[in-house]
Amino acid sequence: MRLTDASVAIRPRSPWEALDLGVLLARQHAGLLMASWALVSLPIFALLCLLLWDYPGWAVFAFWWLKPAYERLPLHILARALFGDTPSLKQALKALPGLLRPQLLASLTWRRFALTRSFDLPVMQLEGLSGQARSQRLVVLGQRDAGAATWLTVVGMHLEMALWLGLVSLFYLLLPAQIELDWSWQSLANAAAGEWLWLEHLSNLLYVLVLIVWEPVYVACGFTLYLNRRTALEAWDIELVFRRLRQRLGGVAYGLLLGCCLLLLQAPTPVMAAEVGNHPLPVTDPIGPEAARLLKQPLSSQAAQDSIEQLLDRPPFEHRETVTRWRFGEDEAAHAGEEPISGLQEWLQKLFKLAELWTGNASLALLFEALLWAALLGLVAVLVWRYRQWLDAFVGRIGLAQRIATPPSRQLFGLEVAPESLPADVAGTVEQLWAEQPRAALGLFYRALLSRLLHDYRLPLHGAHTESEVLRLIQDLDQSELSSFSQTLTLHWENLAYGHRLPPEDLCQTLCHDWRRLLEQGVRT
Amino acid sequence: MSEHPSEQLSPAVAVPAPAPSGQMPQRQRASQLAQALRLELHKALIGQNAVVDDVLTALIAGGHVLIEGVPGLGKTLLVRALARCFGGEFARIQFTPDLMPSDVTGHAVYDLQSEQFKLRKGPVFTNLLLADEINRAPAKTQAALLEVMQERQVTLEGRPLAVPLPFMVLATQNPIEQEGTYPLPEAELDRFMLKLRMDYPEQDEELNMVRQVTRSTRADMLDVTPLRALLQAKDLLAIQKIASDLPLDEQVLDYAVRLARATRSWPGLILGAGPRASIALVRGGRARALLRGGDFVLPDDIKRCALAVLRHRVRLAPELDIEGLEVDQVLQQLLDQVPAPRL
Repeated sequence: MRLTDASVAIRPRSPWEALDLGVLLARQHAGLLMASWALVSLPIFALLCLLLWDYPGWAVFAFWWLKPAYERLPLHILARALFGDTPSLKQALKALPGLLRPQLLASLTWRRFALTRSFDLPVMQLEGLSGQARSQRLVVLGQRDAGAATWLTVVGMHLEMALWLGLVSLFYLLLPAQIELDWSWQSLANAAAGEWLWLEHLSNLLYVLVLIVWEPVYVACGFTLYLNRRTALEAWDIELVFRRLRQRLGGVAYGLLLGCCLLLLQAPTPVMAAEVGNHPLPVTDPIGPEAARLLKQPLSSQAAQDSIEQLLDRPPFEHRETVTRWRFGEDEAAHAGEEPISGLQEWLQKLFKLAELWTGNASLALLFEALLWAALLGLVAVLVWRYRQWLDAFVGRIGLAQRIATPPSRQLFGLEVAPESLPADVAGTVEQLWAEQPRAALGLFYRALLSRLLHDYRLPLHGAHTESEVLRLIQDLDQSELSSFSQTLTLHWENLAYGHRLPPEDLCQTLCHDWRRLLEQGVRT
Repeated sequence: MSEHPSEQLSPAVAVPAPAPSGQMPQRQRASQLAQALRLELHKALIGQNAVVDDVLTALIAGGHVLIEGVPGLGKTLLVRALARCFGGEFARIQFTPDLMPSDVTGHAVYDLQSEQFKLRKGPVFTNLLLADEINRAPAKTQAALLEVMQERQVTLEGRPLAVPLPFMVLATQNPIEQEGTYPLPEAELDRFMLKLRMDYPEQDEELNMVRQVTRSTRADMLDVTPLRALLQAKDLLAIQKIASDLPLDEQVLDYAVRLARATRSWPGLILGAGPRASIALVRGGRARALLRGGDFVLPDDIKRCALAVLRHRVRLAPELDIEGLEVDQVLQQLLDQVPAPRL
């Protein structure tokens, strides 16, 4: 096969253009193709008609079924004609037995209904491939032009029917009027009786005639589709250009090559400037467009260039996008594909073992109980999470949080109330202070009382409590002596603190006595 | 540790306020009078002791009172009973949607005989003014009370006319959600010293009340006629004077101001109380101290009237309002967290 000898212009075409080329090719060799087709198919049809005279339907079916066998001859003729080696009719018919031999059975049986028949035929017949190699080749070829080949077959079927019907109509139109008068449609419908067999054979003949016209076109179209696909795959057009180049420049090239070699072979001699040129030349021209200018302006040329570059780097001038996709890691997938199966099997086996352990319903009930509890807890957690802001805003402020406040504060009402901050002998200290500093003495007493209430009686006191509220809390303790002592103390404390009235002198003795009796022990225990 | 208490010495100790000896019996008398008045009012109004205390607080402090409650809890009865016990003048305005400002303050009328315009004073020229269902009148009429409540004078025909002292406005209103009510503007609300909430009485008190009402001659309300007039206008002025002289520690004053200031930055309140609130707190604390029979003001006195003083001067944040929280709840949280004074 020499591409330079091809009788068609070899270039990549669209599939439809390729089909058009096929029609053209078929028309160019129409005489030879149709004659050879007729010479092969008509005798076979005659033979079939003789053999199956009583069954015209079966005859035409058998003829139709054998179509792939006849198609080999037109392809042979076209393949040779393409490269200028058009065979004569005699040569073509001689080649037919050799053409029929390879893979005839496959073509007539499981490949009979292939929709891309004419497209596949060259692979088998011209490339001589079979089996695995053929199917791989077909997969490669079919990646692009298979759709057009399928449409070619489908349209071809309809075209055959249309042409056949047209021919039948033409035949009917050509009937003489007298015969037409006697024509009885009803008797025609009952043609099964046998007198009308010749008519059926006649219509079969019409079909065979239609095929004489259409089949070469069909084969030629499939062949050009195949050529087009190979042109694209193997870059025949580029190869052709190179071939032509070679033909044209074949003589000159050697001379050119020699000249180049001579030029390059010259040894480089040291240049005088090389010794001086240790200093690298300035890369930028000092007065060129790249040089820094406008240095005293607010916008120097450098800044302007920078901003221009930034602008050029951004969307209307640059469009960058990052595409992230999921894809399968093929190797890993191959390995991983095996493991889950074994993992699944293992898991199932464990499950079955577990199921064996569950002898009674009790364990099942236990499982469901656990599940229900888990669901309940989850629901509570979800609710708390859902209303967390509400809880923050209100529950905290309404007082739940305050109730939990565990460690009693050391500072209360601006007073130091931790037990360590009080003197060991409160009453003694008070007696000492009473004469000179009654306010300090009473203050110490009140402070000590609060400290005892906080730490010994665990009263939930906090800063906002006023004196009378503290008293009310003490009354809730149901200790009459303690509350009466506290009342006395609070009364005099308030008198002193807010009314600025000094306590009576003898109060000190009473309070100290009561303190020692009621509260002194509480600290020590 | 014996030196520790000396740190807590306050400068106030060095100069204890000398109690004027002549004032003591007078103060006690005033206290007794106030307490007698309270007892008398308790007879008339059963089951609302806290409200009675608050009304007396406002009376002694010289402030105005806004009483809010659903119909039928005895708001008007309370005021009528107070007027009965108080010897001064009493006037009542029933606020209706078509009431005009001149119906409240008064206006000039042409006298045919003297052929002159004569001023006809409105019902505000009195000692005790009951503005019944004040929020049934539109804002135009409500505003007629603004001047007289703050400055105790009414400008009529360009002339300022002073109202007789003591002057006190007792307004009642139905909750804002009820049909046919107009909300009071903030300026008006701020002029009321206290806003009281009347709630339903306890069960045994209600039993007692029903028993008494059904026994009285007038079918469906308590009779206020048997009440004695205990107090004359000049007595009340004297009591107010005594209350305003009650000694007040700096710490307590500071507590009152801190309470009012806390409302301004409290989360959950978008509008805090103004300086009038601090003033009302201190005056209310003094009045309560007198009513208690005390000789000086305690933090408790301030704290007890804080709710009534503050509740109409603050505005709740919408989100808390939507959650169904009341102003009183938020204020109670505030009172529970602002530290009380000590030493």
